[in-house]
Amino acid sequence: MAASSGVKVPRNFRLLEELEEGQKGVGDGTVSWGLEDDEDMTLTRWTGMIIGPARTNYENRIYSLKVECGPKYPELPPTVRFVTKISMNGINNSNGMVDARSIPILTKWQNSYSIKVVLQELRRLMMSKENMKLPQPPEGQTYSN
Amino acid sequence: ICLHNLCFKEEISKRFKAKQDQLVLIFAGKILKDGDTLGQHGIKDGLTVHLVIKTAQKATGGSSTAASSSSGTSQPNSSNAGTANPGSAANLGTSQGSGPSPAPSQPANLFTGFGDLSSLANLGMGSSNFMELQQQMQRQLMSNPEMLSQIMENPLVQNMMSNPDLMRQMIMANPQMQQLMERNPEISHMLNNPELMRQTMELARNPAMMQEMMRNQDRALSNLESIPGGYNALRRMYTDIQEPMFSAAREQFGNNPFSALGGNADSSGAQPSRTENREPLPNPWGPPDASSTGTGTTTTSTTTSTTPSVSNPLGIGSSSLGNGVFNSPGMQSLMQQISENPQLMQNMLSAPYMRSMMQSLAQNPEVASQVLMNNPLFAGNPQLQEQMRHQLPVFLQQMQNPEALSVMTNPRAMQALMQIQQGLQTLQTEAPGLMPRYYTFVVPAGVPAGIPTGVTVTPENPPPPSSGLGSTPAAGTNPTQQQLMQQMLQMFAGGNASTQTPEVRFQQQLEQLSAMGFINREANLQALIATGGDINAAIERLLGSQPS
Repeated sequence: MAASSGVKVPRNFRLLEELEEGQKGVGDGTVSWGLEDDEDMTLTRWTGMIIGPARTNYENRIYSLKVECGPKYPELPPTVRFVTKISMNGINNSNGMVDARSIPILTKWQNSYSIKVVLQELRRLMMSKENMKLPQPPEGQTYSN
Repeated sequence: ICLHNLCFKEEISKRFKAKQDQLVLIFAGKILKDGDTLGQHGIKDGLTVHLVIKTAQKATGGSSTAASSSSGTSQPNSSNAGTANPGSAANLGTSQGSGPSPAPSQPANLFTGFGDLSSLANLGMGSSNFMELQQQMQRQLMSNPEMLSQIMENPLVQNMMSNPDLMRQMIMANPQMQQLMERNPEISHMLNNPELMRQTMELARNPAMMQEMMRNQDRALSNLESIPGGYNALRRMYTDIQEPMFSAAREQFGNNPFSALGGNADSSGAQPSRTENREPLPNPWGPPDASSTGTGTTTTSTTTSTTPSVSNPLGIGSSSLGNGVFNSPGMQSLMQQISENPQLMQNMLSAPYMRSMMQSLAQNPEVASQVLMNNPLFAGNPQLQEQMRHQLPVFLQQMQNPEALSVMTNPRAMQALMQIQQGLQTLQTEAPGLMPRYYTFVVPAGVPAGIPTGVTVTPENPPPPSSGLGSTPAAGTNPTQQQLMQQMLQMFAGGNASTQTPEVRFQQQLEQLSAMGFINREANLQALIATGGDINAAIERLLGSQPS
C-alpha cells in the first residue's frame, strides 16, 4: 500500500489494491474478500468470507459477508453486513448488520484500515470470551434481506 | 485442464486426501460453487484460492466405559460401573458368597445381613456388639465419604492403586491368599483381570460410586439370604473364605503396612470379588495396637481398632481409613465398648491371625514402628511417639511372650490392670508425694526408661504381670511392673480422653467456631473430629467443603 500518513490516496486506487490483495490471498487465509460483481466499476460492493475460528462455536463454519465501501471510503468506514446467520455481540440478529458502535475498529476508524482489517477484526472478536461460546443457529442459514 | 470448479475440486481432493464434498473453495470473498468455472471468477495465474476442508466435527468423547475412565470424579461413569458391577457381583456373590463387601462401608451392611449369622454361627466374633460397633463405624464412614476420598487422595494410596500389577503382586505374595486362590479360582480370575482391578480402584476412589455399589450389594445379599439354603451357604462361605482371607490380610499387613492402605483401596473397589475385599482390611492401626497391647492401657484403644478386624475385616478397613475415623464417635464408642467388655479382647487375641500378625510384626520392627507412628492415638503427642519408638522392639518381644499374651487374654487380668491404672491415677492426683518413684515414670519421657526394663523383667517373672497387679501399687513390690502400669496408665488416660464424646471434647472449639459464624454445628463437629480438635484445620475443612 502506498498510503502513508498524511497522503490521501484516492479511493479507487485503494480499492483496486485491496482487490488485488484479496485475489492473491494476502494474510493467513482465514479471511477472503473480493468484489461482489467483477464489473462493478465503482468498487463499492464487496463480499467477504470469514472462516470460523477453531475452539469456538463458530468453528468449521464459513461466514459470508457483504461489505459496502461508500464514496468517502477510506475516510469513512465501510458498512458490513453478515449474510450467514450468526450470533455475536454487535451483530444485529434479524438482518446481520454489524453495529459500527460495537466494533472498536469501526468506531475508531482510520483510513489506513481496510476491508481485510475489518474482516480480521471480526474474526478476532469471534474468539473473544463473550462470543466464543454463544450458541449459534444451524449452519447454512442466511439473513433474508 | 478443465476450468470447471468440479474438476478443480477433483484435483484438490486428490492432493489433500479429502472428499470433494468436504472441500470449499473461496476466492475473493466468494464461495466457488461446483457449477461455476474458475474463469467465471476471474481466477488467473498467481491468484490465490482459499480452500476449506470441512471436517465433520463434534467428536464427543465417548464416555462411560466403566473400566477405563481415569478421573474417578466422572459421575456418569461411576454409575455405569456401579450398575455394571452389581450384575457380576451378584453372580460372584452367589458363587463365593463371602460376606465382606468390597467397600469398607459395605461390610456393615453386609454384616447386618450376617448379623444373625454371626451370632448364630458363633464365628468367634465375640458378642454381637461387634456388629453394632461395626455398623456404627460404617455408618460414620458412609456419612462422611469425604473421609474415604481423603484416604484415596493419599498419594501413597494413589500410587498403589494406579498400579494394578502391584496390587496383584501384593495379594498374591501372601501364601494364604494363594491357598485361597487355589480353592477359589474366582479370586484368581479376579486378580488377574487388570481391568477389574482398575475398576475397583476407581470405585474405591469414588465414594459415591461405592455407595452405589453398596446399595446394590445389599440388594444382592438380601436376595441371597432369601434363597432356601442360601443362608447356610453364605455362612459356610463366610467361614471358609473370610477366615483365611483375614489372616492372610493380617499377615500381609504385617509385612507391609502400606499394603493396608492400598489393600483398602483394592478391596473397596473389588465389588465383583467380595473375597478380594478382605485384603484391605488389615488395619494400619492393627500392628501399633498390637504392639502397644503390651502396655495394657493401650489395649483399650488398640483393641478397638483391631477388634473390628477380628470380627469384620472390613471394620478394620474402615477404622484404618484415616485419622478421622479413629476419632470418630463410632470409634470412640467402640473403644468404650471394648473397655467394657474384656471378652472382646480375649476373642481378638485368641484369633490366629493376631498371632501371625504379631509374629510378622516382631520380625519386622521397622514396619511396626512406622505403623505405630501413624497411629492417631500418638499423632498428637510426639513425645509419646518417641516413647513408642523406643519401646517398640520391646513391645514386640512382649507380644511374643506367651505370658504377656495370657495376661491379655485373661479378661479378669485386664480388668485388674485397668483398675490398677485407675488407682494409680487417683493416687497421683491425691498424693503425689506418695509415689515419687513412679512420678518420674508418669511423665512420658520417663516411661521409655521404665518400660524396657519392665518388659525385660516380665519374662523373668514366671507369674505374669498379674502378680504385680495383685500387689498394691504403692507397695512397690515390683518397680518395673509399676513402671509398666504407669505407662499403661498414661495410655489409658490418652485412651480415656478419646472415649469422651467428641462433642464434649470439642466443646470449646465448637463454641469458637459458632462465634466465628460457622453455624452448622454438625459440620463443625465433623470437622473438629477429623482434625482432632484443631480449630484452624477444622475451619479450613469447613471452608473447603462449602464452595464445592
